[in-house]
Amino acid sequence: MRTLLLRACRPLNLTSTSRLQTQLLHAVSLRSLHTTHHLNIVKPFLLADIGEGITECQLIQWFVQPGARVEQFDKLCEVQSDKASVEITSPFDGVIKKLHYDPDDMAITGKPLVDIDIQSEITEEDEAKLAGGGGEEGAGSAAKESIGEHEIRVEGAAGVDVAEPAAENPGSQPTHPDRRRSSGKQDHSSLATPAVRHLTKEMKVAITDVRGTGKDGRVLKEDVHRHVAQSTQQQSTVHTPMQTSARADRKMPLTPIQTQMFKLMTRSLNIPHFLYTCATDVSSLTTLRKTLNISASSPDQRLTQLPFILKAVSLAFQHHPLLNSSLDSTDPAKPQLTYRSAHSFGVAIDTPSGLLVPVIRNVQDLSINEIAAQLRQLSEKARDNKLAPSDFSGASFTISNIGNIGGGVVSPVISEPQVAILGIGRSKIVPAFNQQGELVKVEELVFSWSADHRIVDGAECARCAERVKNLLEKPGKMMVEMR
Amino acid sequence: MITLNRACTRARGCQQLLIACRRLSQSALDRLAQPVQSYISTSRDPYLNLSIEHYLLQKSAPESTILLLYVNRPSIIIGRNQNPWLEVNLALLNPIQQSQPETEPPGLGNVDLVRRRSGGGTVFHDEGNVNWTVICPPKAFTRDKHAEMVVRALRSCGVERSRVNERHDIVLDQGERIADVDPDDTHLTPYTRRAGIWEIKPPKVSGSAYKLTRQRALHHGTCLLSSPNLNIIPDYLHSPAKPHITARGVESVSSPVGNILLSNEHFIDAVRSRFDKMYHSSKGIEHVEVGEGWLDLEPVQQGYAELKSREWTFLQTPQFTISTSADPSATMEVELTVRNGAISGGHLRHRGSAELVDLDERSVGQRVHDITSWPETLSQMFAGVDGTERHRLGAWFERMLPVQGTRSRMVE
Repeated sequence: MRTLLLRACRPLNLTSTSRLQTQLLHAVSLRSLHTTHHLNIVKPFLLADIGEGITECQLIQWFVQPGARVEQFDKLCEVQSDKASVEITSPFDGVIKKLHYDPDDMAITGKPLVDIDIQSEITEEDEAKLAGGGGEEGAGSAAKESIGEHEIRVEGAAGVDVAEPAAENPGSQPTHPDRRRSSGKQDHSSLATPAVRHLTKEMKVAITDVRGTGKDGRVLKEDVHRHVAQSTQQQSTVHTPMQTSARADRKMPLTPIQTQMFKLMTRSLNIPHFLYTCATDVSSLTTLRKTLNISASSPDQRLTQLPFILKAVSLAFQHHPLLNSSLDSTDPAKPQLTYRSAHSFGVAIDTPSGLLVPVIRNVQDLSINEIAAQLRQLSEKARDNKLAPSDFSGASFTISNIGNIGGGVVSPVISEPQVAILGIGRSKIVPAFNQQGELVKVEELVFSWSADHRIVDGAECARCAERVKNLLEKPGKMMVEMR
Repeated sequence: MITLNRACTRARGCQQLLIACRRLSQSALDRLAQPVQSYISTSRDPYLNLSIEHYLLQKSAPESTILLLYVNRPSIIIGRNQNPWLEVNLALLNPIQQSQPETEPPGLGNVDLVRRRSGGGTVFHDEGNVNWTVICPPKAFTRDKHAEMVVRALRSCGVERSRVNERHDIVLDQGERIADVDPDDTHLTPYTRRAGIWEIKPPKVSGSAYKLTRQRALHHGTCLLSSPNLNIIPDYLHSPAKPHITARGVESVSSPVGNILLSNEHFIDAVRSRFDKMYHSSKGIEHVEVGEGWLDLEPVQQGYAELKSREWTFLQTPQFTISTSADPSATMEVELTVRNGAISGGHLRHRGSAELVDLDERSVGQRVHDITSWPETLSQMFAGVDGTERHRLGAWFERMLPVQGTRSRMVE
């Protein structure tokens, strides 16, 4: 009775008398459904997509605290994104277990907002909403603000929960035909009560297959039983909805790596990139490596091209320090250029979770063997997911080697505050002419240098690139430059 | 609310509610249930107008659509989650209080500072600016819908350069006529220049903000018709503290603004007419006046008191840090962190010294807007600050976070 009184005391909208009736009956019917499956699980409720391509919004205030009992439609919090201040309400009855943000934090769309111990029936529909499916666009009309929208759909479903439908108030009537006209999963919420939907789950029947004989085409329990009896010969029809749904578009939130990449690369849009490519004859380098690798103690101690390239770039940077500098353009009127003394090279690694760029510090002080050892260590850590944030910070230059996959000329994107980046593809054997004019086989590797034209001009970049090329084409030259 | 609750427990329907609200007429409350409603305020009090707007948002029937028009006396309205110290030149607001000889009072007298309940940035209101609000059901809501309605109203008054831009604001395209466009397209005019780096930014004449609840969507906007204060608005909206504050929260996007040069009455008629056309009501729409009488409704009175309170205005500010480090003239490095409008931490360091003096714990919780004298407060916050330093630092903070005098609370 206490729950009923609380519902009655909420400020009433003047036309909602009949909705009040349905709400009261809803509370009663929840109790009568108690004998069937009662789900008591803690689920994270995700921040739904509020449209406009907004990926995060600021949490202004909480209306609940952990331990608070909420009912469906109780206000949980208020968030703000640029111009809109939005109230978010709970789609379920339950108890708040955990708040995922403090006030003033930026809450991320598609990520958990609160954990709720759900104490009402939840259906596949609601589960999908918990999994972040709240971004569907309007039921036919142009409604883009999906939070309000999906709350209304849930409300409609609750109102249908009564065996004997109460006289629906004219206000909410127009919403039902709208909803049914929309395509796809949204329809289900108006086709059946939660009890019936639960039954379809248990009987492993797709609700869209069942012909409803209830009011407005609603599916009743008898319809489900009848459908199961009839369809024992028609197993295949159950599978088709699954097939079509397997080909449907999926809206996914960005992974953490994608989010980071998105942020970083969006900032890189401000950089005017120019590309300078340089085909390098690495035949001598390969011969040298083969010789060294014969005496390698184990297969993974073998030297690849990359340590040599890193060292050659570091040696070249002694003569071209501009490419190792950092640009601070937070105040566009006063750009600050810092020449970095340490050569901290970010090395782009492809991992199963995406692109990572850990940093090898002080390449100027490392020998080629030491560089190779560090590369091996970083790869292992990346594979085992053991890279720490400190492994990623402070790069002054980046090298991106896509050679194990392929690539000729590439056009890499500079990450600020760096002013240049080197991309390397896969080497290949090409025909060339030697000094005597004879046709010979040469192993060619294309080096693609990208630089920030606000700081670096073509000639400087070209000079550095040619220097690296010379060092690698005649590795002996690297020896005489070593300290 | 007590009266209303008692009425609710009887739960015999709407009739009981109406008896509780004696002074406002029966018909006014009946009207809240009508599918289409139109209101205009006779008050110039921004706190009252926003409270009436909020009441309409909370109490009107969920399926109804409402238009509200109001004009405010000179006031600065900041967004729900903004930082007044960052957005507003607070020293200019109370010209009688401020004691700095170098700031000349622009002659506007008292300007109110109001924090509204919808999101978005800071705007300046005065009698040359008409505010419009549309409240509608969420399923019918889009961010552009009613901005487009206002553009159509402007175009019907001959303002053919007006259009809705990508940020849902209304701008006036400048320059020569370029191309013929579809006259029904509210996002393009014959003067619109396509994107290019040399594009002159068209002045903004209306900014929008939204508040979305479970059952209602509110969209309100300004409309600069004939403000006499355009050239001093930038002074009010430029805070000297801005380079020294790091904050979370929504920052205003500043845009050049301009007057449309239309009379308030002409604009109001045009907007009503477009609203009528859009929400064609068979009964014809009555344009109802609202004003001080609505303070008799308890929710309006409560909302009004809340908006006027300094707690609402200042304590709803997201966390921020103010630091002297960006100011080369400061001889000491002082940093203060402010959470919920009250000091939550900080430190001080003499320039050139490695020693850090932490904020005195007793100062934690000091509400910034309650500070009456910065030199005094600073000596309580940090031990070992001598007289001259305190004075200098005090003057710096006084410039950045001006002392708030008592505001007049009279309803006009």
